Amino acid sequence: MSKQIQDAYIVAATRLPVAKRKGMFGHVRPDDMLAHAIRSVMAQAPGLDPALVEDVIVGCAMPEAEQGMNVARIGVLLAGLPNTVPGMTINRFCSSGVQAVADAAARIRLGEADVMIAAGTETMSLMNQMMGNKIAINPAIFESDENYAIAFGMGLTAEKVAERWKVTREEQDAFAVASHQKACAAIAAGHFKAEITPYTVTTRTPDLKTGAVKVKEFLADTDEGPRPDSSLEKLGKLKPVFAARGSVTAGNASQMSDGAGAVLLVSEKILKQFNLRPLARFAGFSVAGVPPEIMGIGPIEAIPKVLKQAGIGQQDVDWIELNEAFAAQALAVMRTLELDPAKVNPLGGAIALGHPLGATGAIRTATLVHGMQRTKARYGLVTMCIGTGMGAAGLFESIL
Amino acid sequence: MSNFIVRKAAVLGAGVMGAQIAAHLANAEVPVVLFDLPAKEGDPNGIVRKAIDGLRKLEPSPLATKDRVAYIDAANYEQHLEQLRGCDLIIEAIAEKMEWKDDLYRKIAPFIAPDAIIASNTSGLSINRLSEALPEALRARFCGIHFFNPPRYMHLVELIATRTTAPAMLDNLESWLVSRLGKGIVRAKDTPNFVANRVGVFSILAVMHHTQQYGLGFDAVDGLTGPLIGRPKSATYRTADVVGLDTMAHVIKTMQDTLPNDPWHGYYAAPAWLSALIGKGALGQKTRCGIFRKDGKAIKVLDLGLQDYRESNSDVAPEVLAILKNRNPAEKFAQLRASSHPQAQFLWAIFRDIFHYAAFHLADIADNARDLDFAMRWGFGWAQGPFETWQAAGWQAIAEAVKADIDAGRAMCSAPLPAWVFSRPGVHAPEGSYSASADTLKPRSTLPVYQRQLFPERVLGEQAVQGNTLWENAGIRLWTLPQLDDTVGIVSFTTKMHALGRDVIEGLQEAVARAERDLKALVIWHEAPFAVGANLKEVAEGLAAGKFDLLDQYVGEFQKASMTLKYAKVPVVAAVQGMALGGGCEFLMHCAKRVVALESYIGLVEAGVGLIPAGGGCKEFAIRAARNAAMTGGGDVFEFIQPVFTTIAMAGVSKSGAEARELGFVQETDRIVFNAHELLYVAVREARAMAEAGYYPKLSPRGIKVAGRTGIANCEMMLANMKEGGMISAHDYRVAKAAATALCGGDVETGSLVDEQWLLTVERTLFVELLKTEKTQQRIQHMLETGKPLRN
Repeated sequence: MSKQIQDAYIVAATRLPVAKRKGMFGHVRPDDMLAHAIRSVMAQAPGLDPALVEDVIVGCAMPEAEQGMNVARIGVLLAGLPNTVPGMTINRFCSSGVQAVADAAARIRLGEADVMIAAGTETMSLMNQMMGNKIAINPAIFESDENYAIAFGMGLTAEKVAERWKVTREEQDAFAVASHQKACAAIAAGHFKAEITPYTVTTRTPDLKTGAVKVKEFLADTDEGPRPDSSLEKLGKLKPVFAARGSVTAGNASQMSDGAGAVLLVSEKILKQFNLRPLARFAGFSVAGVPPEIMGIGPIEAIPKVLKQAGIGQQDVDWIELNEAFAAQALAVMRTLELDPAKVNPLGGAIALGHPLGATGAIRTATLVHGMQRTKARYGLVTMCIGTGMGAAGLFESIL
Repeated sequence: MSNFIVRKAAVLGAGVMGAQIAAHLANAEVPVVLFDLPAKEGDPNGIVRKAIDGLRKLEPSPLATKDRVAYIDAANYEQHLEQLRGCDLIIEAIAEKMEWKDDLYRKIAPFIAPDAIIASNTSGLSINRLSEALPEALRARFCGIHFFNPPRYMHLVELIATRTTAPAMLDNLESWLVSRLGKGIVRAKDTPNFVANRVGVFSILAVMHHTQQYGLGFDAVDGLTGPLIGRPKSATYRTADVVGLDTMAHVIKTMQDTLPNDPWHGYYAAPAWLSALIGKGALGQKTRCGIFRKDGKAIKVLDLGLQDYRESNSDVAPEVLAILKNRNPAEKFAQLRASSHPQAQFLWAIFRDIFHYAAFHLADIADNARDLDFAMRWGFGWAQGPFETWQAAGWQAIAEAVKADIDAGRAMCSAPLPAWVFSRPGVHAPEGSYSASADTLKPRSTLPVYQRQLFPERVLGEQAVQGNTLWENAGIRLWTLPQLDDTVGIVSFTTKMHALGRDVIEGLQEAVARAERDLKALVIWHEAPFAVGANLKEVAEGLAAGKFDLLDQYVGEFQKASMTLKYAKVPVVAAVQGMALGGGCEFLMHCAKRVVALESYIGLVEAGVGLIPAGGGCKEFAIRAARNAAMTGGGDVFEFIQPVFTTIAMAGVSKSGAEARELGFVQETDRIVFNAHELLYVAVREARAMAEAGYYPKLSPRGIKVAGRTGIANCEMMLANMKEGGMISAHDYRVAKAAATALCGGDVETGSLVDEQWLLTVERTLFVELLKTEKTQQRIQHMLETGKPLRN
């Protein structure tokens, strides 16, 4: 059905390690993280003239304050790309990163571009208000029942999903422990090494005793979120946060994080011209709306839609990066679509690895394409639910 | 006289007491270095840091505000003794081991500044003996300083001089403890356990002894030895559980070891059942099992007969209850003694033996009877000390009864009452209280600090000053205290619990009018509570009659009273202590200044009865939000509404005067007073100073920028999540939305400019609308009937 004139190929995909909120990137600016990701992804395609980059599309879920000012363009300039390369920030909340990949691919597929960069960046340390820097809700939301759920916090929607899809507290906690275990095992096995470009953090803090500015530098090269000591017992002690008799806790929800990732996409013409080896072909993208109060089920609509678009079956998919916004919604999605648990988040998910909102899509695309290379898988999905009730899914075909 | 200043203090020993004493010093804006042993591994200050962290979690909080911990520095004896040189006051609070204290004193001696005071918080060891470990030169500046747990809340500090303590130093320390830390001082003699614990622990032993003698259950005894006889709610055995049964046994052991010649020595032993509990590790609250045990929601009590726990029942026999309700103490004691009911006999017995004990030991342990009585009030929470109780019941009659029981072998001890008992009409008299050691009446301390206490706590027989009444109605009294300042009027509420009804509302306006005419300033002061809120009974009567127009007027009058306070031509200063809730909070917010006791619990709690603050409380916060927003780059008013909205919607009450400042009820420029007895003095002085400095009220603000519709929607978003999450009810939502609407200036465009009257009208209209709802009416009714909020 698509009227594309050429394919879009991913020739490089990389990311920074993901930091816990107020953790190792607690003072790191999102535009600096973005610049590092853009610089690194360009470096992985040696010989490719950066001036050929048609546009840089960056996903960000709260594009204001430190990540305002069209953070994409700031990132491009800070990365040292020629100032002829433009940049655009886009926002579809938690899917912004994969949306950026899809939009970048679309420009190539339509023949409008041959080289594109898609990225995502988000700091939840500096932008710690989930509602943005200034809260200003539309009063109309409360004037009818229809739109009331726009006001619901994400945790509350997860409670609604848990209730309707009958996901128990124990199941959620077990899912969370598994996420940590998988992530820790993956780190131990070095599975993230290919996708992570370490980042040197410099902090300047006042040393009140000496009166000097203490400058510290350290290399961040490993995801900060996974806890090797996570256990059912520990998670069982946490209190529900969003509902008096609820089941969603800080332990079975995604971690708030800081991170950035970037993906370099080119046309076949460029592949040949610069002799680049593709990691994957962009195979499709879909997005769908669902009721806001159960936003977590978004992938239930998005996944079948993208598979149909690509003309493949669910059994053809080998690897699914399903963003674990909440264990409750992840389990509801997996059960409804009968996803094979072995294929979902084999390296752990957002409960362990973190979820830097608008950056996640780009970060997990890097995880997917490198993971599929390593395991010789063919088709893979990056999919997630989206606040106010949406789901997105990007499909990738590994080029082995 | 030169000023006595503590620039910095050190506390040695980061145990329960040491850490909490440090916290209270920090509460009083005194920076503290808290010392303990270096940790064997990890951070050398690990022990102290853990103790400091623990302070944040303790309830009731030792900290007036959570940020106080920042002023407690962690240190250890190995690395940081140098820091002692900068400390003017060093309080030692390590474990009660003489050798350890000796070692520590020798170790720190070289680092003590020449003018520093060093004091031990020991609860039982000899202060004279302790001083010997210090070099001679330091001994004049050493004394005992015995705080009670929890030190922020227990009023008592016992000061104990050694033979070499410099009297002037002790006077300075006493004055500082009284005014700065807000404590009640008793000068104790250097005898084991000093005054309060000596008498208090004996009292517990006497209760234990008679519990068994009369075959009563622990639960029944707690019913008898609590508020019914003027002692704390936790009575005897609950208190033991809270203190810890092991600690209790330890204190008893100290008495056994150090008082071999005391005629009651035979009773200084832990009863077998107590030792058995300790042996089983049932130490009370900290092990969740002791004399009492919580079984789900039920409280069970150890029954010695059953050797097991059973349902607790602290009911008192009706006939005994009838005796205790008798307001004539002489009759009450005669009836208790005459009754054959074991509960009555038990009560007489515990009083008899405590009277006997207190009289026998008075000469040795305390300077005078007032000190002993205050020690029991302030250290053990008794409403009256033993001598006051005795004297109120008829000194000689009780003396004869006690003597008869001693002679008949019914008392715990056969030692005779001292002779002075029979030669006197009592121990408390207007001229002073009896000193058994000096055989004379001792007047109160003449230290200048006590002149700041215009209404100190009084023992039986002492008269309070009256002042000159200028005007009064059924709700307030307007008066002056000429010996302090006859140009400053004092308004005191005279209603029950200082509830705010029509009389108070009208009286306040009249008082301001009179002050504007005849006085320089006005102070609102009375004993705690400041005010428990509007008189709900008057509101309920209006509701029952369906007179909503009258209720609307009533709120209007309330608002008028607030505005009268705010725009009075003379400064009105609120002197606040204890609870200041609802309308009481609104009144104090409208005053020109506030002088607030540390122990003040201030809040707008209207949500509890399904209402919103409508005496100008929401209005004041809306004005402040606009003012604060004007000073920011973005000018977002809502940023300043959000925290207030949360406080009001949750009916949040400050846990201290300092916290009331954080919540916005009290201003940065207002004064926090640690000793509530000084409140009136400080308030009058402040009011007079403001008047002399040319006080005039500010004009009513115009062009107040409000958060408006978007602000309300922002609040609704929080409410929607709480309601959907099952944390609040639909009516909670409705009430909180009304509060949001009042705080945001009504359903108007964000950034609209309004005036004060507009804001008052918004809150008044919403208030009356809520009054019309059935659920709010149910809440009001429930509060009137039970004194507790209804969640509906």
